[in-house]
Amino acid sequence: MSLFDTMQRFFEDLRREGIPVSPSHAEDCYRALTLIDWSIEDFFYASMFTTLVKDYHYKPLFDDVYRRYFKVPTDISRLQLFKLTSPEKEADTKAPGEMEGPPTSEGVESQGTYINKNASAPDGRKNPLVQDFRLDSLDDVRRMEVLFPLIAKRLASKMIIKTKRNDQNKVNFRRTLRRSMSTGGIPVELITQRKQKEKPVIMALCDVSVSVLQFSCFALALLASLEKFFQHVRSFGFVDEIDEITHMLKHADPVTLRTSVLKNAKVVGERGYTNYGLSFKNFLERYGSQLSLKTTVLIFGDARNNWFHDQSWALEEIRNRTKKIYWFNPEEQESWSTGDSRMKEYLKYCDGYFEVTNLLQMEEAFSQF
Amino acid sequence: MHNNVEQIKEGMYQAGYICDDKTATTLFLSEALHKPILVEGPAGVGKTAIAQAFSRLKDLPLIRLQCYEGIDESKALYEWDYKRQLLHIQAVANQQLDVEEVEEDIFSDHFLLRRPLLHSISFNQPTVLLIDEIDKVDFEFEAMLLELLSEFQVTIPEFGTIKANFAPYVFLTSNATRELSEALKRRCLYMYLDFPTPELEERILLLKIPEIPNQLAGQIAEVVRKIRQVRLKKLPSVAESIDWARSLICLGKEELDTEITLQTLNILAKYQEDCIKLDQMVQTQNSLNFQPLVGDHLEMYESRPTSETVKPLFNPTERFKNRSKK
Repeated sequence: MSLFDTMQRFFEDLRREGIPVSPSHAEDCYRALTLIDWSIEDFFYASMFTTLVKDYHYKPLFDDVYRRYFKVPTDISRLQLFKLTSPEKEADTKAPGEMEGPPTSEGVESQGTYINKNASAPDGRKNPLVQDFRLDSLDDVRRMEVLFPLIAKRLASKMIIKTKRNDQNKVNFRRTLRRSMSTGGIPVELITQRKQKEKPVIMALCDVSVSVLQFSCFALALLASLEKFFQHVRSFGFVDEIDEITHMLKHADPVTLRTSVLKNAKVVGERGYTNYGLSFKNFLERYGSQLSLKTTVLIFGDARNNWFHDQSWALEEIRNRTKKIYWFNPEEQESWSTGDSRMKEYLKYCDGYFEVTNLLQMEEAFSQF
Repeated sequence: MHNNVEQIKEGMYQAGYICDDKTATTLFLSEALHKPILVEGPAGVGKTAIAQAFSRLKDLPLIRLQCYEGIDESKALYEWDYKRQLLHIQAVANQQLDVEEVEEDIFSDHFLLRRPLLHSISFNQPTVLLIDEIDKVDFEFEAMLLELLSEFQVTIPEFGTIKANFAPYVFLTSNATRELSEALKRRCLYMYLDFPTPELEERILLLKIPEIPNQLAGQIAEVVRKIRQVRLKKLPSVAESIDWARSLICLGKEELDTEITLQTLNILAKYQEDCIKLDQMVQTQNSLNFQPLVGDHLEMYESRPTSETVKPLFNPTERFKNRSKK
């Protein structure tokens, strides 16, 4: 196997981990590698990192793949590494300077695939972006957390664009006049005022029972990180009792959230089994007076009601008092309303519903409001 | 090849900036590949300083464009000096000149205000262009920069395209308050400056403040490292530790103790809450170890339970199993 093949596999693995390595990144990387001295690890690493990774949040992922490919005991030089991994020898005995040259453009183009969204690695590991929320191992949770700030940031930038569009508004008289001085007092260019968009008040209701806790916490933390786009975000957790958990979201860390919600909030009532009906009813009784037509209610949960009464009248009443209700369900749509899921009843009163089984879908769903 | 990177490292040291092998490699590559560098990292770790040091190293003029929300082409690229044009027209009003002549006059180079970007490429030698806090600008402005960053040229409708005689060395800094577009990132090399290791920080202190006693520099580096483990709103960066060292020297201290630390905490922590938190840590522990307090957020973070140790409080599925058995 030649160096070129090794590098290609390296790029493939990076893409599988979710790092977008485009052909032009790869080309830069090859060019950089021809310029530096491979015998010093830091040079080698830095030239790869600087050309391939364009966001700090990818660093842990990159380091992981890098370690698998290039990390060797210090007494073996990087050149020998390629020999070790290669069955054929001809391609590797060359010195770095006379490496097979930067690959031709055809070579680079042929690998122009971006992240394959559904591909999973041979060892069964998945791109954390499409990793299912129902996680068994804490390792998977951590891998997902690595991506978390990245998604929050990406989402925030999407929302900024949304709020900035459409400036067909009133004329800003003062600025228009000032600008007109340059054209001898003739207002050639009209300057309009930016519309102050009304920010919605968000109330998030989250099922925090074990089956969907992971999902709820990610959703809440993501929501908290976007707080500046909303006038006010209040969050409530429920199992069969509902309690406000807004203050716990301040640090917006999904890891601590999981434990602190169960520890510090009264979300578990007498029976301890998820009860959507009772929770909605209690919510309406206690916080109903604070709902207004500016409020948007977001519900996170699988609607699995343990065969309790669904009390959908409570949700209807909430609907009547608020602007919009959106439901985020971590189950696939096919399994909605099967078994003890009361999704069908509740859906009647929702203005929108999203199937959110992984981070990618969550990002898409969030960017819609 | 090896020497080039070492040279840059040495040169940067002479210019008052200590960089490690990785940073030096990136600087070298940006020079060799003619690519701008995008520098990200927490505030105060020396993102701007790296460009300043590089301009000293190369002995080239540094041109700085400080970005802010709402910056536009007329602030960054070029603008006609309207006021002087008006004055000029008034001044020549009585001279009964030819209209065309006046027009040619007022749209000449004389009345053109060159803003930093245009300035940097119209020099007759290379320059170091520092575009500071690029994450503050609008998307439109970012798109406008693309041409400059990849081709080192600027297109102005009235003139046509102005190409740089000498490609500038471009540094972009960002605090990552928002994500930059893929197109911009693709054109740049990426560098992330993190908080330095205590050893590096000690060296930085010794370089920046020659009169500092070795012992004090070591202590400061160590204490600052410990403070960075604490969950604060804003972690102290290199800029803060340099400030702190300077103030301690002003106060005539040769070494750190808890008392002087308590008095000067506000130099390190820039939020009232952070100050109080650190203050409590020092007072209760009576040392500068900055161990997390009981019940602190951090403690919970570290002792987070693994999935095996947490028993589910309730397990609906099990309940059904039992039910169906009955």
